[in-house]
Amino acid sequence: MDGLEQTFLQLSWKLHPDNFVNTTEREREMSLQRSSKLNDAYRVLRDPVARVEYLLELEGMRKEGEHKQQAPPELLEEVFELNESLDELREAKSASANLDALSRRLRTAEKNFGEKLQEVDGEMKTAAQQWDAALEANASDADREAILQRLNELLNRRSYIRNLVAGVEKELSGAAY
Amino acid sequence: MGRIVGIDLGTTNSLVAYVDTPAGHPKCIPGPYGSTLCPSVVSLDPDGSIIVGEAARRRLLTQPERSIYSVKRLMGRGPADVQNELALFPFRIDPQSKNMIRVILGDEMFTPPEISAFILRELRNWAEAHLGEKVDRAVLTVPAYFNDAQRQATKDAGRIAGLEVLRLVNEPTAAALAYGLHEKQRGHVAVYDLGGGTFDISVLKLISTSEGDIYQVLATNGDTHLGGDDIDNFLQAFVHHRVSQNGNFDFSSSAESTQKLRKSLIALKHELSEKDSALLNFPLPNGEVFTHEFTRAEFEKIIRPIVDRTMGPVKQALADAHLAPQAIEEVVLVGGTTRTPLIRRTVQEFFGRKPHTELNPDEVVALGAAVQANILDRGVSNMLLLDVTPLSLGIETYGGAVSKIIPRNSTIPASAQEQYTTGVDNQTGIDIHVLQGERELAKDCRSLARFTLKVPPAPAGLPRIEVAFLIDANGILQVAAKDMRTGEQHSIEVLPSYGISDTEIERMLEESIEHAEQDFAERQLIEARTESEAILTATAKAFANPQSTNLAADERSNIDAAVAALKQSSAGSDYKLIRKRIDELNHATEHLAELLMNSAVSRALEGRKLAEV
Repeated sequence: MDGLEQTFLQLSWKLHPDNFVNTTEREREMSLQRSSKLNDAYRVLRDPVARVEYLLELEGMRKEGEHKQQAPPELLEEVFELNESLDELREAKSASANLDALSRRLRTAEKNFGEKLQEVDGEMKTAAQQWDAALEANASDADREAILQRLNELLNRRSYIRNLVAGVEKELSGAAY
Repeated sequence: MGRIVGIDLGTTNSLVAYVDTPAGHPKCIPGPYGSTLCPSVVSLDPDGSIIVGEAARRRLLTQPERSIYSVKRLMGRGPADVQNELALFPFRIDPQSKNMIRVILGDEMFTPPEISAFILRELRNWAEAHLGEKVDRAVLTVPAYFNDAQRQATKDAGRIAGLEVLRLVNEPTAAALAYGLHEKQRGHVAVYDLGGGTFDISVLKLISTSEGDIYQVLATNGDTHLGGDDIDNFLQAFVHHRVSQNGNFDFSSSAESTQKLRKSLIALKHELSEKDSALLNFPLPNGEVFTHEFTRAEFEKIIRPIVDRTMGPVKQALADAHLAPQAIEEVVLVGGTTRTPLIRRTVQEFFGRKPHTELNPDEVVALGAAVQANILDRGVSNMLLLDVTPLSLGIETYGGAVSKIIPRNSTIPASAQEQYTTGVDNQTGIDIHVLQGERELAKDCRSLARFTLKVPPAPAGLPRIEVAFLIDANGILQVAAKDMRTGEQHSIEVLPSYGISDTEIERMLEESIEHAEQDFAERQLIEARTESEAILTATAKAFANPQSTNLAADERSNIDAAVAALKQSSAGSDYKLIRKRIDELNHATEHLAELLMNSAVSRALEGRKLAEV
């Protein structure tokens, strides 16, 4: 059990509404508010992506609920090809043509971009560790700013690729295979 | 303050359980018939009193238009939601029903929470009779996949029954609690709960900490309209089809035959859990007898689609918990329908391990509810349940899309805050539409509530209103608004789209007391006597049949003795004794009934040719 989970469980023992059934209305309300905040916090902190988003909001790099997407420049050619294949698939579907070859091509692309997504997740993890290290080491504002910029960029790139993969999944699942 | 109990308000059967001492184990409370299962059937007697349970179940055959079963399928739903159910279930719904469904029993109308409240009141009577104490608080269980409206309706039912509902607990979570207590296992546990009308799958992590044991739900999924009822419907459709092909009888013309057939098929279904084949001999009202031998294989072929439908939610729950099937250390089966061998086999193959079936699948949910009731009553304990919300909470945004603000499988209580402002000068209201569900468009999700935020007149964009959405530990939504400029709090009355207001609940509570004013024991006695008369008449009629001369002399004298004993007990006021004598007479007349049945069947065979024989 990691430290986050342990802290979450410990605080749950203290705050959960089950412990306050026979108390005053004010205590019950406080338990409800605090345990919901605890659960909300745990939900964000245990998810590496949500956690980075939250950090960037705290540091004023992002607005709450903002989902900017950014096409990774080195992937532009592959993205272009993928979009073409998707268009072809849609056309072929409406013409009830044979989708075999196209579906295969898209599955390969889907796998490819899935790997890219993992790469981004890995880079994000590294950058997040750099952030923690920078805080420990009392790094300069400029250094910290650079890491935050990098995290923001990775986040935008991630949402772009994820949308792409989701789009392919959607088309393929509707392709009756 | 009176005693606290745990109640499993089921589609087919309901149960009540309690924990006798603070550290004790939970027990289910038996009713007047000796069984802990109270059939979830309600019947309105022509004299205006309400009959619940076994006695009402019998009335399904004799007074189908005054009786209702499986009302749980209607809880928290609107008239438009239940069109599919109406084709399959003999629900008679007031065509004038607008938001709230009204069910017709005889010449009166009731909402689904009122009917459920009659069942709760009956169980409360059982508990009070058994414990000799007042019972006024309860933990009620709901399917984990119930939405806000269905939960609210269940809570309303408790209040109408005069119970303070301390908590709604998800059925699979309650089962896990009873299971964990019993087996002392820790690790990842999957609870597969297929009941009469609902299916749930929950994945939990059982953790031991220095403070005590934590039952943390990681993910839950399900289908609130899938269960043993559907197996009955499939079997019924199968027989209807065969009969319309071979015989000349239309079941839709007779509610009574439909109910009788359903009863026979339920017995047949239970038989097929034990044996490899079962014979259906069903006398049709037109004098013909429909006969069909169901093999286990044929039965499994008929019900296979139902079993398959449970596996989608199972896979989704595991995916949401980020676990592979092999990572599950224990699988627990809950709900009477999991006695079906095909289901046991399917679950075992999927998880690659033998599921737990040591605990009675009918009782385990009520036992867990009693454990939770005991925990809540004591305040602080060495057990903690962390449950989740089964469905994402969202709000409608521009263009009918849904923005998810609390994702499914979030630990509850959970909350989210949204900021609102105005788009035009002096705008005085902002419309908010809250939804539950996983789909992207508002029209495909379940509408929970619509309300208008009041805004003081100001230039566009100046007002700042923060709306806090909170799902409480019961899985029920609360909404509050705060004006960020003035700090003023607005309470928002959010009535679920199919909800009942507090004043209506008060009125229903009063009415339900009127209906239930007849004393419990007195009513049991009247029912037992009525039943005694019925069986005595039937026995006398059977003796008038020439077939009865084939009885052996000692069989005849046994029956005579049982008849005399029953008559004697019926003159007294001990309803339990009358019930015992009825059972004895039933037992004594088994062979006689068989003789009469065989003669009826052979008579039917002489006269007609039936393709199915």
